[in-house]
Amino acid sequence: MVETATDRKLEGTVKTGDRNQFRGQKGLQDLVLDANLCTGCGACIGLCPYFRSYRGKTVALFPCTLMTGRCFDFCPKVEVDLDNLSEKFFGRSYDGNPLGSYQTVMISRADEKVGSAAFQAGGTVSAIIYFALKKGYLDGAVLTDRDGLLPIPRFVTNPEDVFTCVSSKYSAAPTLSALNQGIRDGFTQIGVVATPCQVLSTALMRSNPLDDKAFVDPTGLIIGLFCTWALDFRPFEKFVSDRVDIKNITKVDIPPPPSDMMEIYLRGGQKIEIPLEEIRPLVLEGCSYCADMTAEFSDISVGVLEGQPDMNTLIIRTERGRKIVNEAQKEGYLVISDMPAKNLEHLQSAAGNKKRRAVIKAKQEGILSAKILEKITRRSHVISD
Amino acid sequence: MSFLTDNREGIQHLLMGNEAIARGALEAGVNVASGYPGTPSSEIIETLARVSGERNLYVEWSTNEKVALEVAAAASFAKLRSLCAMKQVGMNVASDFLLHLALCGTRGGMVVVTCDDPGALSSSNEGESRHFARMFEIPLLEPGDFQEAKNMAKWAFELSEEIRNVVIVRSVTRVSHASGNVKLGRLSQTQRHAEFKYDDDALETYEGPAESTPVGHKHTLQQEKIKKVAEIFEESPFNTYHGPEKPELLIITSSVCNLYTKEAINLLGVEERVGLLKLGTTWPLPPKLLKRYLSTTDKIMIVEEVLPFLEENIKILAAEQAKEIGAKTFYGKNDGSIPSVGELNPDLVVLALSKILSTGYMAMPSEYKKRFQDSSFVVVPDRGRTFCPGCPHRASFWSIHNALQMDNRKGFVCGDIGCYAMGRLSCGFNTTKTLHAMGSGTGLASGFGKLAKFGMDQPVLAVCGDSTFFHAVMPALVNAVHHNSNITLVVLDNSGTAMTGFQPHPGLTVNAMGEEAPAIDIAKVCEAMGAVVEIRDPFDLEGTRNTLNRLIEKEEGVKVFILRQGCALSPEKRHAKEYDMRIDEALCLGEDCGCNRLCTRIFQCPGLIWDREKNRAMIDEVLCVGCGVCSSICPAEAIKKEEVA
Ligand SMILES: Cc1cc2nc3c(=O)[nH]c(=O)nc-3n(C[C@H](O)[C@H](O)[C@H](O)COP(=O)(O)OP(=O)(O)OC[C@H]3O[C@@H](n4cnc5c(N)ncnc54)[C@H](O)[C@@H]3O)c2cc1C
Ligand code: SF4
Ligand code: SF4
Ligand code: SF4
Ligand code: SF4
Repeated sequence: MVETATDRKLEGTVKTGDRNQFRGQKGLQDLVLDANLCTGCGACIGLCPYFRSYRGKTVALFPCTLMTGRCFDFCPKVEVDLDNLSEKFFGRSYDGNPLGSYQTVMISRADEKVGSAAFQAGGTVSAIIYFALKKGYLDGAVLTDRDGLLPIPRFVTNPEDVFTCVSSKYSAAPTLSALNQGIRDGFTQIGVVATPCQVLSTALMRSNPLDDKAFVDPTGLIIGLFCTWALDFRPFEKFVSDRVDIKNITKVDIPPPPSDMMEIYLRGGQKIEIPLEEIRPLVLEGCSYCADMTAEFSDISVGVLEGQPDMNTLIIRTERGRKIVNEAQKEGYLVISDMPAKNLEHLQSAAGNKKRRAVIKAKQEGILSAKILEKITRRSHVISD
Repeated sequence: MSFLTDNREGIQHLLMGNEAIARGALEAGVNVASGYPGTPSSEIIETLARVSGERNLYVEWSTNEKVALEVAAAASFAKLRSLCAMKQVGMNVASDFLLHLALCGTRGGMVVVTCDDPGALSSSNEGESRHFARMFEIPLLEPGDFQEAKNMAKWAFELSEEIRNVVIVRSVTRVSHASGNVKLGRLSQTQRHAEFKYDDDALETYEGPAESTPVGHKHTLQQEKIKKVAEIFEESPFNTYHGPEKPELLIITSSVCNLYTKEAINLLGVEERVGLLKLGTTWPLPPKLLKRYLSTTDKIMIVEEVLPFLEENIKILAAEQAKEIGAKTFYGKNDGSIPSVGELNPDLVVLALSKILSTGYMAMPSEYKKRFQDSSFVVVPDRGRTFCPGCPHRASFWSIHNALQMDNRKGFVCGDIGCYAMGRLSCGFNTTKTLHAMGSGTGLASGFGKLAKFGMDQPVLAVCGDSTFFHAVMPALVNAVHHNSNITLVVLDNSGTAMTGFQPHPGLTVNAMGEEAPAIDIAKVCEAMGAVVEIRDPFDLEGTRNTLNRLIEKEEGVKVFILRQGCALSPEKRHAKEYDMRIDEALCLGEDCGCNRLCTRIFQCPGLIWDREKNRAMIDEVLCVGCGVCSSICPAEAIKKEEVA
């Protein structure tokens, strides 16, 4: 029996009084799945035969009776001791900064050696992963492909396969199931491209919550994607297939403000635009409690850049992130320049707004514990109510 | 020498009740026998099929009981002797035709044998077929032991010919499936020629057209027949009395309860105080005979199983004759002396009897009962009902369950009758949520599948076996297709009527007599009906799950998914291991996070066992039949399979 219950501080997104919950499948079912908080990140999938993801939904096939388990401990929606994680990865307690801990914010795009592809924006993400795989900094990468509109997790080892996974899939993806697969298959320098909740879950996994003595961090680089929300796959697919033939979709984009549209590009160069207000009702319930826009526990985070659709915003947070970015630039895979001050301001206010919205929602629903609420409210520079 | 061909009169054979009935039919010179398999009735047709060549019989497993009754009736109309056998639920299916047949009348001797199952030992109900006799106004005979089972079956043909109507012989599990000594009579040597005569007047019931109309005329004739039967029954040797001339208590009983009651009287030693009237002819009751015995005392106890059929009919007779026989006190179902649910046994009769007679007898001391139960728990392992090792149903339900979970819309499965009725238990992962009559799963699904209009968005599935498909699913499926009901029917095709012992059915290339027969292709039938059809091997778990998910997601119409894999006990598969199985202990995760005993805790094939000491799973070499399925569920690839050379 696995009885090595860790005593991780319970002060994340968990209801007060839940301390004695089953910290295994049952707890996850009660606190996350039944509460409709799951964002389908995939962290609990592929660890064991019980959890599966099917067309965007995470489900438990059969009951598991274990009192503690990785599914619970890796889930970003159960409980997160942000202080503990922040100490672990940044050497200081969590301070509520809208962009999280970081070294610098730059702008970037793929350089010539990468070639061209249907990148979402500047191709920064694909360029860095391509470079790192090619040069052996990474032995595999966790990416997200698609079949129609359905996001498909991929564990990629061949650098050229990076290009089959370019561009954003706007519905929640069980991407981390590919990470679990890579770990099971014995990879030790894994690159992970992930949304903020997925990055949080990866950080939880890397913090070795079950105190496994033989644990070694299996990741080599975590690239976080900015994210304000993701869509519930099933209603989204229905919404789109009522309007276009899904087989003909080549890319989906949500250009930065002031555009307020989702753009769907079709084979033959056609493009249809859908106002975001029609799309928003399809956002996952779990996203409305998410206070992280920039994937705060990554090595580097990448987003779009206002006013320059072929460039990315690039946040460098850790040493290993900075090192790979520099190498990629030096070797002609990445172009980097400074972030204009005005853009940085906008970015901070957007990230702060997401935090505020999440806190208000969480307050309303009584989801966050009083302690974490107070922490975010007190420390976030932007929140002022 | 086989009891089926032994022609030495008076020789004794140890026969099962159902064999005795078959022997009786042979002595009566039965020509045609038909039925639908169902415990506890199946051995009657099986036994007759074995000698179909030697005794020049035509024997068939019909598609369902109604068809079986029609097949037997045709023989009777052609002046042959015919027998039709079924279990109690089959009578409900056959009853539609039986009502018409009883009105129309028969020609050659025709007997319906129904085997009831009080206590539902192998049924999903404990329905009663005795009431059909009263409802349809035809004679009912109930053997009280094995010799009677044979004798009655034989005599029933004669009675049928005498009154020109069908006769019911009703057995129960404990008569059909228990054995006793039976003295044989001689086998019939009569040869009959089959001809259906219809040229006579329509009112003529013997050589005119065979019809239930004109109803007024036929009904009058029928009631004259049943009156005559009552007369005949007054003298029947199947009604016997044992006991004092003026007993303190008169017990009236029939069928297997006769044996229980005899034993109870004996146990209590009250032979001098109690009279036992055992009735073999239970509808219509012979009024004079009853009047005679009811007059002997004023305390009457009626011992019978399940519903108060005898009790009510006797009470009516007693009321009619009250002036002459006086007021009576009745003990039975109504006053609670005898339970109305489940089987009886000698102990229950002792309990009732000792109360009435105040003998102070403790039926079974509770202390003894407890000791008995405790000791049996030590030797008998606590095992729930489950599918056999290597059973394709376990694999099928695994995939159905997983498909529904992954679909995540609270889909459900309407169950049906067969081994797979256990789909509602943990061995079927609690997948089926309804269970009723043959074919009702698909009928219910057809209805559920039309409820989208009222907001129902749950996927609707039904399951049925291959034999059940032909029996009663087809009309329900036609209904579903025609009304564009949004359902998925999973046909669990294990190539035989497995639950009742592999009787052939229309989907197979052989008939009851072992002759080659054209098989009906379920897939083609469904396609012709207009359903979308897919076929797979359920042992391919992921493929099956995948296909099923795809089918469930289709928003319109009827989808049929045929899962084809032979029953693990089928004659072809027995002793034919496909794989040698072993568990790599080093890989097995056991109870760790990552598995938590999926194989022994959830999948639960009896071939898999849990080694408590090692904390690892093991293969039980004796029970495992080497189907190989479990190797595809193990998350650690610890269950290894190797093809048997
Ligand atoms: C659901 C979602 C919401 C987003 N919201 C914002 C936003 O509000 N503001 C903003 O600035 N940026 C947002 N982004 C990020 C942005 O769309 C780009 O992914 C990012 O700018 C990187 O651009 P790129 O050109 O480097 O990408 P590319 O080089 O084209 O690479 C894209 C990478 O994203 C990965 N990916 C695609 N879909 C998913 C997914 N669903 N889950 C995990 N990984 C995925 C792929 O594996 C691929 O490696 C969002 C991304 C996603 C997936
Ligand atoms: S991850 Fe572990 S605890 Fe969770 S369901 Fe799987 S086996 Fe059970
Ligand atoms: S949020 Fe991720 S880890 Fe949590 S239940 Fe959903 S898929 Fe599993
Ligand atoms: S499923 Fe596999 S890993 Fe799990 S207990 Fe059985 S053999 Fe061991
Ligand atoms: S191979 Fe596995 S599933 Fe098949 S009978 Fe043996 S133990 Fe059971």
